[in-house]
Amino acid sequence: MKYMELAKLIDTTKCTACRGCQIACKQWNEMPGLKTKQLGSYQNPPDLQWNTWTLIRFQEYVNKQGKFSWLFRKDGCMHCTDAACMKVCPSGALHHTEFGTVGIKSHLCIGCKECMAACPFDIPRYNDKTDKVYKCDLCVTRLREGQQPACVKSCITGAITIGGKETMIKKAYARAKELGGDANVYGDKFVGGTHVLYVLNEKPEVYDELPKYPTVPFSIVLWKDVLKPFSLLAAGGVLAGSFLHYIIHGPKTPDEDTATKKGGGE
Amino acid sequence: MKKGLIQATDWYERLVHWMLAISCLVLCFTGLGMMFKSFNFIANMMGGLVVTKYIHNFTGLFFGVALFLAIKMWWHEAGVFEMPEDMEWMNAAGGYLWHVDKVPAVGKYNPGQKMFFLAVAIFGAIMVVTGIVMWFPLRFPTELVRWLFVLHALGFAVIFPLFFVHLYMGTIGSPGSAPAMFTGWVTRAWLKKQHHKWLKEMERKGKLVVSGEEKKV
Repeated sequence: MKYMELAKLIDTTKCTACRGCQIACKQWNEMPGLKTKQLGSYQNPPDLQWNTWTLIRFQEYVNKQGKFSWLFRKDGCMHCTDAACMKVCPSGALHHTEFGTVGIKSHLCIGCKECMAACPFDIPRYNDKTDKVYKCDLCVTRLREGQQPACVKSCITGAITIGGKETMIKKAYARAKELGGDANVYGDKFVGGTHVLYVLNEKPEVYDELPKYPTVPFSIVLWKDVLKPFSLLAAGGVLAGSFLHYIIHGPKTPDEDTATKKGGGE
Repeated sequence: MKKGLIQATDWYERLVHWMLAISCLVLCFTGLGMMFKSFNFIANMMGGLVVTKYIHNFTGLFFGVALFLAIKMWWHEAGVFEMPEDMEWMNAAGGYLWHVDKVPAVGKYNPGQKMFFLAVAIFGAIMVVTGIVMWFPLRFPTELVRWLFVLHALGFAVIFPLFFVHLYMGTIGSPGSAPAMFTGWVTRAWLKKQHHKWLKEMERKGKLVVSGEEKKV
């Protein structure tokens, strides 16, 4: 499993919402449990937190035929290829690992929270005690030792698997075909392809907190790919222009004659 | 002091100018150090990115105060265009770009300076407001914060290059200008060349402060 582009496949149709992955993630990453609030749902905590990098979302869904079903979706970092968080990260804390996933070097994070605004999936979370942002790193230290991420390891139904990206994409499409109906593969067609793929039983827009077509926000592209280089080019242009002005046109020097003949001249 | 020098600026004007200038420069360079990975060394010289972030944020507050004082002090002299001489000056580009026999005389600030003032006033205010939101982004809607990032970058793309224009024009591009912001005393020849209308107006009102001469009130 070393040094190849990996992808984690989450087959939501096989998930029983046991939340073993949620616990395994916390345990491996030594994240504390925090006091939570019962909001009338099994979904707990209610949202991703700085200490909760993956979360099973519970959703009650009634389809057009009036059939009720539970939708369980393991939420967390999608590990984009064209990662908006990396584009904005000023310190290089967010980076691509040798597996194509998005790692986070916590010691470099300065808590600017720019990644939180940029992420199209609303994943990074901030801890004001440490003034740092946290998110899933797909257990990169485990991957480097040839181990599966903690969530994959803990999954008892085989809903979460990991492998070479191309292999997993093929596997995902095969599974979606097998399921038929609205079943689809989510993740390989946008932001350069994510390194976390879903097999969804329903159309993506059905799922809570799941963007139908996520992109690096246009505002972020304008900021980082247009205005950022433009500011330096403009400053450089001005410096060069000033120099050329000085040597070609010359400075605007006061007329010494008019200084001596007070009030005269011109 | 050399006799015959004229006081162009008072101590308060110079103080506010330097408050604005120094904080603006600190903001530009700490901002550069954070925005560009290739300029991270600037941040590292200041003790790392975290320290730089706090220097940037608190200097921003100081800049906001300085900007407020500067706008309050200068808007009527530098924020309002005087027609028709400002338009004539613009059409001649102030004599800076091609040969002009007689550059139209302007008041205390020429239209170029006025445009720079307006750019700093408008984009400076944008920088302060967007900067404060970027400091506490979680309190605001994500989509709004994203566009404020864009505005903050736009403000930088405007102010940073214009700063170099200002620096050039205030020093070697127009010899005799810099003393106006250091000591406040400039030569009559420089005033005649650069701000003849103001010179004549002050003389007419008898308000001109000339070194070695009794102040006429």
